[in-house]
Amino acid sequence: SAEAQQLRLSHQWSTADVRHQVAQMIADELDEADVGLSMRIFPSASLFSATEQYLPLSRGQLDMTVYPLSYAGGQRPEFNLTLMPGLVRNHDHGARLNNSPFMEALEDLMAEDDVMVLVHGYLAGGFASKGDCITRPEHMEGRTVRAAGRAFEQMLAAAGASIASMASSEVYNAMQTGVLDAVNTSSSSFVSFRLYEQVDCYTPAADVALWFMYQPLLMNKSTFEGLSAEQQEVLLAAAEKAETWYLEQAKHDDVRSVEVYRDNGIEIAEMTEEDFAAWRELAMESAYASFVDQVPNGQELLDLALAVE
Amino acid sequence: MASTSPDAPWRRGADALIRGIGWISTFCGWAAASMILASVLITCQMIFVRFVLRQSTVWQTETVVYLMIAATMLGLPYVQMMRGHVNVDLLPIWLRPLPRKLLAVVVLVAGIVVLSIMGYYAFEHWHITFQRGWRSPSVWGPQLWIPYLALPLGFALFILQLLADLLALLSGRDKPFGLEAD
Amino acid sequence: MDPLVLGGLVAVITIAVLFSGVSVATGLLIVSALFLAVFDGLWALELMPEKFFGKLNSFALLSIPMFIIMGAAISSTRAGADLYEALERWLTRVPGGLVMSNLGACALFSAMSGSSPATCAAIGKMGIPEMRKRGYPETVASGSIAAGGTLGILIPPSVTMIVYGIATETSIGRLFLAGVLPGLMLVSLFMAWSVWSTWRNTGLSVMSGRRYSLREKLEILPRVLPFLLVILGVLYAMYGGLATPSETAAVGALMCLLMAVIIYRMWSPKSLWLVLRDSTRESVMILFIIGAAGVFSYMLSSLFITQSIALWISDLDVNRWVLMGAINVFLLIAGFFLPPVAVILMAAPILLPIILAADFDPYWFAVILTINMEIGLISPPVGLNLYVINSIAPDIKLKTILKGSLPYVACMVLAILILCIFPGIATWLPDMVMGPVR
Ligand code: NA
Ligand code: NA
Repeated sequence: SAEAQQLRLSHQWSTADVRHQVAQMIADELDEADVGLSMRIFPSASLFSATEQYLPLSRGQLDMTVYPLSYAGGQRPEFNLTLMPGLVRNHDHGARLNNSPFMEALEDLMAEDDVMVLVHGYLAGGFASKGDCITRPEHMEGRTVRAAGRAFEQMLAAAGASIASMASSEVYNAMQTGVLDAVNTSSSSFVSFRLYEQVDCYTPAADVALWFMYQPLLMNKSTFEGLSAEQQEVLLAAAEKAETWYLEQAKHDDVRSVEVYRDNGIEIAEMTEEDFAAWRELAMESAYASFVDQVPNGQELLDLALAVE
Repeated sequence: MASTSPDAPWRRGADALIRGIGWISTFCGWAAASMILASVLITCQMIFVRFVLRQSTVWQTETVVYLMIAATMLGLPYVQMMRGHVNVDLLPIWLRPLPRKLLAVVVLVAGIVVLSIMGYYAFEHWHITFQRGWRSPSVWGPQLWIPYLALPLGFALFILQLLADLLALLSGRDKPFGLEAD
Repeated sequence: MDPLVLGGLVAVITIAVLFSGVSVATGLLIVSALFLAVFDGLWALELMPEKFFGKLNSFALLSIPMFIIMGAAISSTRAGADLYEALERWLTRVPGGLVMSNLGACALFSAMSGSSPATCAAIGKMGIPEMRKRGYPETVASGSIAAGGTLGILIPPSVTMIVYGIATETSIGRLFLAGVLPGLMLVSLFMAWSVWSTWRNTGLSVMSGRRYSLREKLEILPRVLPFLLVILGVLYAMYGGLATPSETAAVGALMCLLMAVIIYRMWSPKSLWLVLRDSTRESVMILFIIGAAGVFSYMLSSLFITQSIALWISDLDVNRWVLMGAINVFLLIAGFFLPPVAVILMAAPILLPIILAADFDPYWFAVILTINMEIGLISPPVGLNLYVINSIAPDIKLKTILKGSLPYVACMVLAILILCIFPGIATWLPDMVMGPVR
C-alpha cells in the first residue's frame, strides 16, 4: 500500500466508555494488520455533536460513527423502533434481533442513506428515582421525569408522569434541586452522571429490562466499498470480534452500575416479568400505537420485530 | 461633496437603496427582539406548567431554542446596521485614509464572500430538510425546515445589509470603519 | 503538514485577520473557511452552516440574552442611582466611605447587570463628579469605577461564566457560586487600595462626607428593596428546585422587566423597546461569535490541531504552575485585544484538556480566567471601561484614567496569586451549596 488511508470516526462518549473501546479495538486491529488503512477517533463529540453525526456520515464527510440510531428518527421515523419500551427483553434477545429480518429491513433503509452497520449492539438502562422505587407504571403518577427517547416519553406520560425535556448536562442539577423526581437513561450514563449522589432508588436492567437502545458502529457504505478487498476483509474481521466483545461488555455495564449504586447505599429495585408485562401493555397503547400511526409501513416493521423470539 | 452634483439620479437611487435596506434590517431587529421577548415568556410559562401545574412540558424547550436561533439570524443585519458586531480596529486606526478605505472594502468583500458560502450551503441544507420532510426526533417532533429556514434567510439579509454598507462606503456616505479622518 | 505547525499558521492568520478590523465573528468564519477549504477540501465548506446551527442549537444559550435583558432593564432605570445613594448615606461616616460606597455600588450593580460598560456609566456618572468634588484624586475617582465595573463578569450572574460553562460543559450554577467569594475579595482589595491611595495623596481630610440623619438613612432603604427582591427571586429559582440555571435566567429577566415597568414606572412602549433593542444587539453580537467559534473549533478539531496541542503540552512535562503561568500570560494578552466571550470560546477547547490533565479544578480555573478577562477590560488598547470613563468624564485625561486603573490591575494580579495559593476561595462555596465536585 503506497499511501495509507485514514478513516475518521466520531462519537459522543469519553474514552473510558465501552462504545469508545469498541471503536478502539477496530482501530488497533487495523494498525496491527498493516493494510494501509488506519482510524482516527474523535471522542467526546470533539468533531460532531451527538445528534449531528448521521447526515455527514451519509454524505461521506464522516467515515464512521458509534451512534444511537434512534437519534436519526426524525429523518427516518422507522429508526424509532430501535428505542421502543419492551421491544427487547434482555441482551441475548437483542443479539437475536440483530440477526433477524427486522434488522435486515432497517439495514436496507440505512443503505438508502449510503450507511452500513459494522458492529451491532444494544445497551440497556433503567430508572433512578428520589423517594419510592419505580418498577410499575403506577409508580410514575405525579412524578416529574426526564426520559431518554421519544417512545419512553410517550409511555411515561401515559403512565401519568410529567415529562421534562432538558439537556443531559442539566440532569444532575435538576435532580439535586428537585426539578426532577426521576430519570430514565442507560446504565453507563447512570454511573457517569453520578446520579447515585442524588437518588434513593435504582431500578437497573436485570433479567428483564424496558430500556434497550440500539447503538451500532456505522460506516459510510461507499467509503467501505472503495476499500481494497484485503482492507474490507480485515475491517469485517475486526468488526466481528468487536461485536462479541460489545455484547459481553453491555451485560457487564449493567452489573457494574448496580455495584456502583449498591456501594453508594442506594436501594436496588427489581422488575418482575409481571411488571414488565404491565409496562409493555401500556407501551402498546401509547408509544407503539403512535409509531404505527405515524410510519406508513410501521405495523409491518413492528411485526417483524415482535416475531423475534 | 460640494464639487459633484449631489442630486445626480444614481446618487438618489443609491440613497434610496441604502435607506430601503436599512428599513428591512430595522424590521428584522424588531422581529429578533420580539422573538427574544417571546422566549422569556415561554420559558416562564414552562416553569409554571412544570412546577405549579405539575404537567408535562413537551414543546417549550425546543421552541425557545429555535426562537433564539431565529433571533440571532434575523438580528444579524440589524446589528450590522447599528455597527454592533464587535471588532478590533488597531490596524485601521494606524493606517492612512486611502489604505484604510481599501482595507475596509477588502474586509467587507471578504465578509460577503464567506457569508455567501454559508448562506448557499445553509439553503441547500434547508432544501433537503424541506424536501424529505425531516422532523425533530422529540415527542413534539416539529418539521425541521421551519427552524432551518432562519439560516439561509438570516445570512441573505445580512449580506444585503453588508452590500448596502459597501455602497455607502464606496459612495463616501460612510467613513471606513466609522473612524474620523485624522 | 504537521498539525502543530498548522496550528501555528492558524494562530498567525487568525491574529492578522482579526486585527484587520473585520468583526470578530466574521473573521473567525473567514479563517475557518480558508483552512477547511485548503486542508480538508472544498467539500468541507458544506458543513459550515450545520456546525453553526449545531452550536446555537442549545438550550443553555438561552441564559445569555436573558441575563443581558436583566442588565439592560436595570440599567435603564433609576436603580443604579438609588443603590449609590443608599450606600453613600450609610457609609458616609466611614473613612473613605465615598469611594467604598462607589465600589460597593459597582459590585452590586454589576452583579445584577453583568455588564461592565453599563456599570461604569451608571455608577460613574454620579460617583466620579462627587468624588472629585470632595477632593479625591482623579486617579482614584476614575480608576475605582473602571475597576469596579469589571466585577460584573465575575460576580453572578455572568455571561462570561455561562459561555465558559457551555464551552467546557461545566455546571453553570456551580460556576456562579465559584465567582462569589473571589468577587468579594476583589472588592475588598479595590477598597483597600482606594482608601490607602487617597490617604497618601490627600490625607484623611477628604474622607468624611456630609452627615445624614437616621431618617434619611432609613427612608432610602425601600428603594433598594426591588434589587434585593430580584436577587432573592433568582437565587430561590436557581437553588430551590424551581428551575435549572438556564431557565432561571428567564425568571430573572421577567422579574427585572416587571420591576422596571411597575416600580420604576417605565411603561412607555418606547423605553421598553430601548431595553429590548439594546439586549437584542448585545445578544446577537455574542451569539454570532458563539456560532462562528463553533465553526472555528470544528476546523481546529478536524485538522487535528486541538488534539495535537493538548498532546504536545502534556508531553512537555513542565511544572503545573509554570504551565498555569504560561496560560495566564496567554489569556492576559488575548484579553488585551479580544472581548472575553471570544477569548473563552476560542481558548476553552484547547485549554480545558490541558487544565484537567494538569489536575487543576475547572471551576477554580474559570475564576482565574475571568479575572484575566477583567484585566483586559481596563487595559489598553481596547479596554472598554477606560473609554466609557473617558466619555462620562471627558475632562479627565485618558492617560490619568489609565494611570489610575493600573494599581487595580495589580490588585487583580494579586487576587490571582492569592487564588493560586488558596484555591478554596473559589471552590469552598460551590462545594458547600452543591456538594463536592463531580
Ligand atoms: Na454579574
Ligand atoms: Na480588552
